Amino acid sequence: MLRLLVFELYKLFRLRSVQLGLLAAFLLPFLWALAPGLKEAYGLVLASGWQVVSLSLMAGMEFLFPFLVMMAASESLGSEVAQGTLKSLLLHPLPRTRLILAKLLSALLYPFVLLSASFLGSLLAGLPHGLGGFYGGTGLGAGGFAGVGFLSAQEALGQLLSAHLLAGIVLLPLAALALLYATVFLSTTASALAAVATLLLMRLLVAFPTLTPFLLTTYLDLHLRPNAAGLGLPLLLIYTLGFALLAALVFERKDL
Amino acid sequence: MEALRLEGLGKRYGRKPILEKINLSVHPGEVYALAGPNGSGKTTLIRLVTGLAFPSEGRALLLGEDVHQNPQARRHLGAVVEAPAAFYPYLTGRENLRMRAYLAGVKEEDRITEVLARLRLLAVADQKVGSYSLGQRQRLGLAAAILHRPKVLVLDEPTSGLDPEGVELVHGLLQEMAREGVAVLLSTHHLEEVSRYAHKVGILGGGRLLDEVVLEGRKAYRLEAEPLEGALALLKTLPQVASARIQGQAILFEGEVEAALGALLREGYRVKALHPQGFDLKLYYQERVKHA
Repeated sequence: MLRLLVFELYKLFRLRSVQLGLLAAFLLPFLWALAPGLKEAYGLVLASGWQVVSLSLMAGMEFLFPFLVMMAASESLGSEVAQGTLKSLLLHPLPRTRLILAKLLSALLYPFVLLSASFLGSLLAGLPHGLGGFYGGTGLGAGGFAGVGFLSAQEALGQLLSAHLLAGIVLLPLAALALLYATVFLSTTASALAAVATLLLMRLLVAFPTLTPFLLTTYLDLHLRPNAAGLGLPLLLIYTLGFALLAALVFERKDL
Repeated sequence: MEALRLEGLGKRYGRKPILEKINLSVHPGEVYALAGPNGSGKTTLIRLVTGLAFPSEGRALLLGEDVHQNPQARRHLGAVVEAPAAFYPYLTGRENLRMRAYLAGVKEEDRITEVLARLRLLAVADQKVGSYSLGQRQRLGLAAAILHRPKVLVLDEPTSGLDPEGVELVHGLLQEMAREGVAVLLSTHHLEEVSRYAHKVGILGGGRLLDEVVLEGRKAYRLEAEPLEGALALLKTLPQVASARIQGQAILFEGEVEAALGALLREGYRVKALHPQGFDLKLYYQERVKHA
């Protein structure tokens, strides 16, 4: 199983969408660090390199990172269908569940790699602004970017690591959802679009207040609201497991 | 025990039947060729047999194990289901085979070199598959299929995209595999080529197995007699004659030649010529499909 997982990871990181995504996640912070309209858009005048890190996370999590994760999970199965290699894999005495599990685990690891690339790029982009303590905030704690006084480097790093970890967990059900659609449609584009459409549809359900606390989309900004983690984290994990289970069930009897 | 056995296998999408009640078996050392016009269900049957698709009815057994109930049954199976065979283009031929060897539980590195040599791919073994010609990929597909010494080989159009030399290589390999006791099921349009060594030919049409022709020891005779139609009618009544039909200005029949000739002469037919003729599978197939 470990070797299969390693092979799936190798294949995942060979995907063009994954390579471009990692490059974008690494390079975009440099763009944010130089952006002239930060004050107008976010009410922010950069006072520290740590703010570049949080800004990159917030901007990425708006749409780019979720999309890249869904694209990668969709392509991990869709590209094999397009190449014809999925059939070759399944001609071996390999249980389908094991294959889809290996694909799922690699797709679930990708958000953390993506966020690590963004974190690393942000640190480098933020270096000119300094990575020491500063008066202000990371935008992730009390007082937003204005902060509540002096923020030490350790506190800033702690807030940012915790936010990145939460963001990674937020992206897990999206990867599982995209993989589920990939098993249904056996196509990269169709499954990525279906996953995006599902999220858009879920967002519309905010009109039903009783449903809102249980919607996946309610917790897509959990990295900004760590106090909601009590209900949010278990729900995100339940969604991930549920989508993964459905993906395994669909794939088990899927005609290829 | 049959190496491969299909019991009432059928597939339908919605209400549309693609395959209906296919029963066939292939014994160890036997080559079974599936023929049929495009859309007759050959590829669907191959997908069902290999476990890639699931039947609506019936079952497929590999050495007695149901391929759809037990994925482990595929340890007996070697297959190429696409032409050209699919591989990871960014890996070399050898690396692709190494990955397949891992999935099939083959641990000997020498075996990879052995099959590459057998399919005459050693010269390109360490080049990326993306740079392979269609023929080379097709041969690599066969190398991957025989890598783990399967007991059943299932191939969809194995000579598709190959040059004449490659076609001979594949036919030679399949005969060799059959001699080694491997059961071979292949789909093909090249009836003349496979009729040289196949033991049985299954003719598919409209999703049904229309006919199963046993080629081994099959002899046909060409008869020129007058009146032709009457002679044909007489031959068809004889229990010693298995089949008879008009081909051009003569009758082509299978069966006991002495009994046929005796009956014709007794009934006063004028026999102008009678000589053995190799069984024309292609013609038989065309007639069978036309009448179906």
